[in-house]
Amino acid sequence: MAQIEIRDLGIDYRKPKSDEVFSAVDGVALSVEKGEFVTIVGSSGCGKSTLLMAVAGLVALSRGSIRIDGKDVTGPGPDRAVVFQEASLLPWRSVRGNVKFGLEMQRWSGGNLDEQAMQMIRLVGLGRFSDYQPHQLSGGMRQRVNIARALAVDPEVLLMDEPFGALDAQTREIMGTELLRIWERDKKTALFVTHDIDEAIFLADKIVVMGRNPGHIKEVIKVDLPRPRDEEVLDSEDFHNLRKRLRAHLAEDMSSMQLVQEVA
Amino acid sequence: MRSAEMTAAPAEAKQVSFSFLYPSRSAVVGTLAVLLFLVLWQVAPSMGWVNGRFTSRPTEVFLAAIDIFRNDNFLYHARISLTEFVAGFALAIVVSIPLGVLLGTSKIARYLIDPPLMALYIAPTLVLLPILVIWLGIDMAPKIAVVFLGAVFPIVLNTMAGMSEADPKLLRMARSFGASKFDIFSRVLVPGSLPALLTGIRLAVGRAVLGVVVGELFVSQAGIGYQLNLYGQAMRIDRLLVYALVVSAFGYTLTILVRSVENKVRDWRSK
Repeated sequence: MAQIEIRDLGIDYRKPKSDEVFSAVDGVALSVEKGEFVTIVGSSGCGKSTLLMAVAGLVALSRGSIRIDGKDVTGPGPDRAVVFQEASLLPWRSVRGNVKFGLEMQRWSGGNLDEQAMQMIRLVGLGRFSDYQPHQLSGGMRQRVNIARALAVDPEVLLMDEPFGALDAQTREIMGTELLRIWERDKKTALFVTHDIDEAIFLADKIVVMGRNPGHIKEVIKVDLPRPRDEEVLDSEDFHNLRKRLRAHLAEDMSSMQLVQEVA
Repeated sequence: MRSAEMTAAPAEAKQVSFSFLYPSRSAVVGTLAVLLFLVLWQVAPSMGWVNGRFTSRPTEVFLAAIDIFRNDNFLYHARISLTEFVAGFALAIVVSIPLGVLLGTSKIARYLIDPPLMALYIAPTLVLLPILVIWLGIDMAPKIAVVFLGAVFPIVLNTMAGMSEADPKLLRMARSFGASKFDIFSRVLVPGSLPALLTGIRLAVGRAVLGVVVGELFVSQAGIGYQLNLYGQAMRIDRLLVYALVVSAFGYTLTILVRSVENKVRDWRSK
């Protein structure tokens, strides 16, 4: 049985100040095997973040089900941890304090909290900065803390919502390589939302391409690039072919969007 | 693979700065201005520019201060005023923090009492003094009440704002780790609203000091305000100024103190 099993998922929102219902995600079915790295890609408004937040248990389902290891998701749980798009660090806590936050919330009983936090901080390369306050860190460093905080609680499934979306291109590339290095260690099941095609291919075992109106899955693409990967893979022929395929998908979405605007 | 430390440079290198020269220059200019003012004030009555009866002189004020601190029962009056201030302020803190927390965390409570609260905050509570005197007499009680009324609203409103304006991204993050309502309250809302609470307390200090003095000016048997009234009727400008200075020094010191704590807590927001 797959570790994450999503069936016929639908998520509706009520538009503010009206009774109009708007469907963010509809008819989504997806299975993710244990240890798989799945990226979810699509243009903005395709419901990819909503889908991820639903798996996190932070968004209520309107239809269908999400199961993790056979158990229905009804809210957040210690089997999942989220890396948010914005680092969402508590500004009054140090790097170490922030990494400990998740452990404190889950009444972690796996030993010394400080040790566990420090281990994760070192893992993301911030060993020397554990006593820094968030405002003293760069955007890339804050996202490292964000990742360390999620890893610290040792979840079964790691959920990442465009964690490198706000970073500059070069930092983004470094963070991608770093993330893979960390992930290779114990190959946790990972869902990673992005709108960056290269990022989606580089990280993934499987790419989920989503379309909009309402958000649905257009295609699931297997990625067979050898691991461990580094930047060289970006120049391989397989990579180029995948990139072309994904571009075509997203271009299609764009043109249909323009069409809608013209008609309107 | 690239090094992990590549993006992990310290956000800012410590720079050698000469900025400390500028505050000291402004301090020099400021001191000179004050000295110039004192000299003018001293000589103006002698030169016939102003009537010394109405303006007094720095030297006279200085001598009056020495006399007041020695012979005027100063400590007795100061203790009365201070007691009124502390009692009223403590009461305000005890009431306003829980109220602010309640209003900041419950929308219904907020809808219910926010408008009257806002109105009371804006209205000068000093207009209630005559009523308070009728209810509570001319002793310390009405002054304590007026200090309380002056201090309570800024603390309530700022605590409320600090709580209700918590960053939704932080709340969602906390929920994602399974934080309970109490966890969110104690680990996210309380530390997050501390700077706002301190701002409220700082604003309350000024209103509370005003409450004590005006309360005593209105009707009293002792206290700094009583002395102000006494010397006002006797037209002792020198002594009036000594008491006025004492009051403003007290308020100023307290405000600076709270502000320094506030800045310390707010450090992380500066960038």
